[in-house]
Formats: sequence, structure tokens, C-alpha cells
Amino acid sequence: MVQQHMTADRLDATFSALADPTRRAILARLASGETSVSELAEPFAMSLPAISKHLKVLQRAGLIERGREAQWRPCRLSAGPLKDAADWLEHYRRFWEESFDRLEEYLRELQKKEKKNGRKR
Amino acid sequence: MAAKDSGAAETADREVFIRRVFEAPRELVWKAFTERERMEKWWGMRGLTTRVVELDLRPGGTFLYVMRMPDGRELCGKWVYREIVAPELLVVVHFTTDATGRPIPHPYDPSLPPEMLTTTRFIENGRQTTMELRSVPINETAAQRAAFNKLADAMEDGFNNSLGMLDEYLASARSEEK
Repeated sequence: MVQQHMTADRLDATFSALADPTRRAILARLASGETSVSELAEPFAMSLPAISKHLKVLQRAGLIERGREAQWRPCRLSAGPLKDAADWLEHYRRFWEESFDRLEEYLRELQKKEKKNGRKR
Repeated sequence: MAAKDSGAAETADREVFIRRVFEAPRELVWKAFTERERMEKWWGMRGLTTRVVELDLRPGGTFLYVMRMPDGRELCGKWVYREIVAPELLVVVHFTTDATGRPIPHPYDPSLPPEMLTTTRFIENGRQTTMELRSVPINETAAQRAAFNKLADAMEDGFNNSLGMLDEYLASARSEEK
């Protein structure tokens, strides 16, 4: 249960981080590959410290990671939280699809047997 | 999220829609969907063993099941039947539950919606049966709804609605993680 709460907290952090359009734009930028902070700042009319602040929020939410390579510390998208939020319907769909695959097989088996037994139901 | 061969297609943002054609008469498909022993044969992902605890096919009745994963952990859930028109329509509310049937957040991902309203139509099609399943989340928490909406915004802003690109990226990132 502890783990469940941790995940719920993390999700909250994810949602508030995503609430800001600048941060969403940063994520979008990072979707095409890792980038330095100054490169990230370029399209925004914003100071580096302001961008850094946004990056910290994103980092705390687990949405991005910063490289440890001292000089330029590249930013990149981190998979976990965004994936969790995006995946829920897809997950549910997969559950059904796979069940239906099995249903298909089951029905096939069933009818094979029926034929053998002279089509009685 | 391209349409699959099976006919799966996403018709709206917030629903799952699956169309499948089964090579079997409708009566038989209906039985497979509504009889306890038959449900155990197919309900659940591959690799899981499903045990039906209860199947009470009437409006307000419950279908309660326990799925055992290969590692021994168990996942439980239930349907509560809303509407039953044999052999053509089944409307249920689908919950993740504990072993007693009490609804709980999904143990592996609390962001999953707790309740799905799932409508299944069985359409007679000669010796085939076309099944159309439509499933929408209901009674979500604000956080769960927010997850979806914020994400949709992010997509529109940044990814130009190209879910595929993000999916791909995240899939590769995740496999690197592991």
C-alpha cells in the first residue's frame, strides 16, 4: 500500500508539472532528443535561471533527467510517469484484445469438438 | 495507435473500441461470455489463470474473478451487470477489486480508471459473430481525469498529436531502463 501512495504522489507531481505550457513545450522539445539548457531556452523569451526553474519542477516530477556530465548537463525525457498517465486506456484495450484472442481459440476448439461429436450442442 | 487487423480502432479520446469477428454462431459466443466455466477458459491476458468466484447473470448481479499471474500474485476484479439482452447485448461496469469484490485502485497503476462502463454487442453475421465492445471510464477521480486532459494538451502543444512518436520514444526509453 505504501508503494501505491508513492505512485499517487508521483502522479500528482506529474499533473502539476504538466499544467504549465512552457513546461509542456520543453517536454515536446525533448521528445526529439536530449538538449542542453541553453538550447532549450532559445525559443523562449526567458532567462536561463527561469528555464532552470522549470527544469527543476520537471525533474522533481520525474519527467526529465539531467545528465551528470559536468559542463552542459543535457536534459532528456524520462519515460516512467508520462507513460503511466498515457497508458491506462491502452492497457485496458490490450487486456480485452488478448482475452479475445483466447476466446477465438476457445471457440475454435469448441466447434472442432462439436463436429467430432456429430454436431450436438 | 493505428488500427489493428482485428479491427481495433480508437473512435474517441476517452474510450476503448474493439470490433472482432468470431468464427462461431452468436449463441455460442454469448454462452462463452456468460457462463462461469466458459469464462474461465478465455477471460484474461495470456499466462494468467482465471478462477471465477461468482457469476450471477442478472441486472445488478456480479461476475467476480481472481487471476493468478505466473509469479503467483493475484489480480481480482468484477463486473456488475447493468443490462442483459440475450444473446445480443451485455452492459457491465468493470471494477478492479480485492478478493472479496471490494473495489480498489489498480494495484500496479493507480492512474488506471477504477470503473469502466463496458458495452458489448453481439451481432449475428451468418455463421460468424461480430462483436463490438465499447468501454469508457466512469467515476474517475479528478486526478485521473486531469492525467488524461493534461496529457492531451501536452500532445497538442508539442507533439502535434503524434502519439505514435511519443509511444515509440517511451517504449525504447523504457526498455533501456530495464
